[in-house]
Amino acid sequence: MKVQYVSPFAEAALNVFQMLVSITAERGQLSARPQMFTTQQVNVVCGITGNIEGLVIYGMSMVTADRLASKMIGQPIVTFDQLAASAIAELGNMISGNAASVLATQGFSVDITPPTIIRGSNVKITTLDIPSLLIPMEIGDIGTLEINVSLQESRKSRLAAA
Amino acid sequence: MAKRILITDDALFMRVTLKNILTQNGFEIVGEATNGVESVELYKSLKPDVVTMDITMPEMDGISALKEIRAFDPEANVVMCTAMGQKNMVVEAIQSGAKDFIVKPFQPERVLEAMSKLAA
Repeated sequence: MKVQYVSPFAEAALNVFQMLVSITAERGQLSARPQMFTTQQVNVVCGITGNIEGLVIYGMSMVTADRLASKMIGQPIVTFDQLAASAIAELGNMISGNAASVLATQGFSVDITPPTIIRGSNVKITTLDIPSLLIPMEIGDIGTLEINVSLQESRKSRLAAA
Repeated sequence: MAKRILITDDALFMRVTLKNILTQNGFEIVGEATNGVESVELYKSLKPDVVTMDITMPEMDGISALKEIRAFDPEANVVMCTAMGQKNMVVEAIQSGAKDFIVKPFQPERVLEAMSKLAA
């Protein structure tokens, strides 16, 4: 997978955290992931379609999800209810949407699907043939958001180029 | 009289956020739609002054809903409110009759500015 697909997501995450929770996040070290990996406690899954396709998974601990949702909603989360889940899902949607805008400036036209939340640790995910890259974002005292990017040039684009 | 707003977003969090911003500033929320199909139906029955419209939604996306609403009422005030801010999306929305385009995440002031301009 091309590293150039990953940077837009890190860049978008920095913008979104600044705007949403007024925190200057820090981008961690990029690493490759095996095709099968174990999820975090809370995961937002976002599908990407268009010139490049695949999925992006935003993973975090329950504590980080609680803190983020509390900040976004403007009051402490008592239980991780529908509203909190929706806030975390929307965070993934915002980062993906902003990344799509960055990708568009690089000539990639992509669309995003509505996000899905997967909760529970020790869930195994395999992206089959699409390799994954992982970029951790340190969000001040809120915690870490892991951005897992599994994207490839779409079949249609590959055929057009052939 | 308070201006009547129809909110369209599949995310509960966004609907609550927009509702809070708008009701705290004197607007009335007459309806909440969770996808494009609901938004078009509610527009026809409620005739709101302004519609906020997300783009990425299940059932029917916001651009299609915008087109249907504008076909029903060429004077409709629809403000896009979405995380998809790329140029071609903005151009398509504006060409399809959207009055403004707000990219998420947004500051409350940005939403109020758009609403005040339209609902004056």
